[in-house]
Amino acid sequence: MSHPSAMRIFLKTIVARAYPRFVAAYRNRAWLITETLLPLVGTIAMIYVYRALHAPARFLGFVVLGGVLLAFWQNVIWAMATQFFWDRGAGNLELFAMAPTSLAAILLGMALGGAYVSLTRAATILLVASVLFGVSYSLSGLFPALGVFVLTISALYCLGMLLASLFLFYQREAWQLADAMQEPIYFLSGFYFPVRSLGAVVGGVGSLIPLTLGLDAIRQLILPGTPQFIPLSVEVLAVVAQIIAYAALSQISLRHLERRARQDARLILRST
Amino acid sequence: MSTAIRQWRGFKAATRLGWQISSNWTQPLVFVLYSVLRPLSAAFILVVMYRVISGGGANTAAYLAFLVSGVAFWSFVQYGFAGLSNGIAEDRGEYKMLKYVYTSPAHFYVYLLGRGLAQLASAVASALIVLVVATIALSLPINPLGVNYPLLLAASSLALLAVIGLAMAFGVLLLQARDAHGYGELGSGVLYVISGAIFPISVLPGVLGTIASLTPLVYWMESIRRSLLGSQAIRMFPLLSDTDVLLRLLVTTVATLLLAHLVFTWADREARRKGLIDMETNW
Amino acid sequence: MDIAVETKALRRVYRSRNQEVVALDGIDLQVHRGERFGVLGPNGAGKTTLIKILVTLLLPSSGEAFVDGLDVVRQFRELRHRIAMVSGGENVGFGMLKVKEQLWMFSQFYGMPSAPSKRRIDELLERLGLSEAADRRVSALSSGMRQKMNLIRGLITNPRILFLDEPTVALDVGAARDVRDEVRRWMAEDPSRTVILTTHYMMEADELCDRVAIVNRGRIVAEGTPAELKQRVQQNSIVDLQLSPGGRLLDTLRRVDGVTAASVLEQDGTDRFSLQLSNDAALGGVMRAVEGSGRQIQGVQKREPTLEDAFVKLVGRGMAEEEQA
Repeated sequence: MSHPSAMRIFLKTIVARAYPRFVAAYRNRAWLITETLLPLVGTIAMIYVYRALHAPARFLGFVVLGGVLLAFWQNVIWAMATQFFWDRGAGNLELFAMAPTSLAAILLGMALGGAYVSLTRAATILLVASVLFGVSYSLSGLFPALGVFVLTISALYCLGMLLASLFLFYQREAWQLADAMQEPIYFLSGFYFPVRSLGAVVGGVGSLIPLTLGLDAIRQLILPGTPQFIPLSVEVLAVVAQIIAYAALSQISLRHLERRARQDARLILRST
Repeated sequence: MSTAIRQWRGFKAATRLGWQISSNWTQPLVFVLYSVLRPLSAAFILVVMYRVISGGGANTAAYLAFLVSGVAFWSFVQYGFAGLSNGIAEDRGEYKMLKYVYTSPAHFYVYLLGRGLAQLASAVASALIVLVVATIALSLPINPLGVNYPLLLAASSLALLAVIGLAMAFGVLLLQARDAHGYGELGSGVLYVISGAIFPISVLPGVLGTIASLTPLVYWMESIRRSLLGSQAIRMFPLLSDTDVLLRLLVTTVATLLLAHLVFTWADREARRKGLIDMETNW
Repeated sequence: MDIAVETKALRRVYRSRNQEVVALDGIDLQVHRGERFGVLGPNGAGKTTLIKILVTLLLPSSGEAFVDGLDVVRQFRELRHRIAMVSGGENVGFGMLKVKEQLWMFSQFYGMPSAPSKRRIDELLERLGLSEAADRRVSALSSGMRQKMNLIRGLITNPRILFLDEPTVALDVGAARDVRDEVRRWMAEDPSRTVILTTHYMMEADELCDRVAIVNRGRIVAEGTPAELKQRVQQNSIVDLQLSPGGRLLDTLRRVDGVTAASVLEQDGTDRFSLQLSNDAALGGVMRAVEGSGRQIQGVQKREPTLEDAFVKLVGRGMAEEEQA
């Protein structure tokens, strides 16, 4: 019996799953307030911490760039990794799971759909905070930094798929754990300070998160004077390796955990 | 008498419900980790930020104590403000029970107060553990035997009353929105900036600094540091005595509660008028 | 005859921290292609668990299940192209999408080209009387309209086998009738289509299904056409008694000589007893028992057996009583 190819279904699913997010962003513009002001306020608070310490101007840039990548981390955690928890409660997960598509495509669609909001959030932080606090950047490193940014976000979304497969298995704990992970991740990734400050061991552990190395590389490129954690070329290679590793792990994990979820009835139980 | 008993029962039920919601989702050990991991990480972020600038030299303990005390006690505001205001939206949207609570004999204030206090109770462990761990790890000049507990308790009681009042007003105001997601965190984020929790408010530009000096949270932070650290506290208001600070806290708390009551009353009336108490918010 | 669905000793056990629940306890089932097959039973009988296994959302604890010749455990990826499921009371999807958008979205998960998908959606909306609501947000639909939309979602992809899990639950009479009419129409279009329907509405199974399996506590207690199942109680007289409310009388009536089965339903302040009598003479004993209870008789009628009566005879009590047990 003939049916559409797996690749065709994969691509169509990504577009279709992204669609509700695009629609929501257009039809309910209240997100413009919370999704831009909230991270901006958080970034400003940290900038004032450095201001109070009379820190050099580039430290304000550390915070701004950290805030920009933080926007994508939030998208990965809340719009991707924990999304199956909400979908299960709404009954959508059953329909996604019994369709001849892959959960990876559903996740990528969610991520694509949320990217619009994340980009807006990131751009707001970058522009508003930089102008308000007079942060300047080295333009010579701009294009390489954009390249590193794309690689970092790709690795991050692959990690997001891996996390989503883990969260598929847990119920309300998943949401709470994701919430509990926020500040530890901000710490380990060096969102607000040079990664080098964490030292080799803690920084090494933090480097498992793509944001850590990506953020450090971007800072090295456009914020002169950034203390180097590891050489730029090594960081870039490591991020590329993370893309491959997390993409592969997420596929294995999604398949394995989907089977476990079918076994333990975790696809169908309504969450509390 | 029977009315008082009804209100008391409603209050107890609300407190128990609030506690169950914030603590019932997993093993107690994991709940504790969650209550500890977040604020500890927040504290260490600030410590690293400070160390990066100060170079970890001498006389840093006082400033670290300034940061740590602010972050530790900020748990109360985070849980109390964001937790309660989001809780109201959750009761309507996710649990769909707000209408039943609203139409029950217990006054809505009483219910919200119970929910709010339960959230605050969840923050006690966080605050204590952050203080203890940070004091030991960073050799902070905090001596449990030297703490001015009456000042600490008096200031905290007033400030947290203000927080609950603000949260209640904000939460009922949020009923106007179909999607209230994120507004609780936004509100507590704004308070974070103007509270003096992680930096002295003298750093804030003109208008912001003025607004900050009108909020009870600034005086609460000041009282916390003075009670924990005594003469070693870095003071945001060096010319004010402890009594002056407490008095300002009292006045600003009363003003905040009055304002919160006005907002609450208006928002409550609007919500009823527009039929928002049981509005479907299914996204 | 071609088999569309087959299960062999199908078993499913749910385990939680302190409890083990046997939801399915050795189900052997065969559904022929082109059939409308009903799975009838009280809440908690295992109907939904059975459906979830057949649509590949749940793995069986033991036993086998084949849908369209494919193993639900090993060949689930291929199987998912051929099936669809619609559950009653579904609130799925995204409230801010319009009806057409939501339906299009789900069709894309099956790889349907957009243009034919949209044409099919328009056609089905027209058939189910939802054309005017096509551009309305899903959150603004009534429950009846929403369920019709859900049914359309199940039909767009032209599945070979359609699973309907309590599709008319919580619907008003008109909406429920529309859903059943559409199922009949859809089946009539293509004789190779098969429908598996779970329900606890006896009348629905009686009206809609070619064959019915009665399930209780994870087991099939009887299987056959509605007529065959009613035949099991044909030799009995079925008498309905409406009595004023009072103390427990059901057990007393069950002990009356000649009463082979009895059930009761409280409705509008009246207790409606349904009794199966091996012979009409048993009615005398029944009336004496009623007189002894002090209750007032508000109505007595003899009627034709229904599937509910078959259920009562097989299980020993009514569906409502079984759900409370």
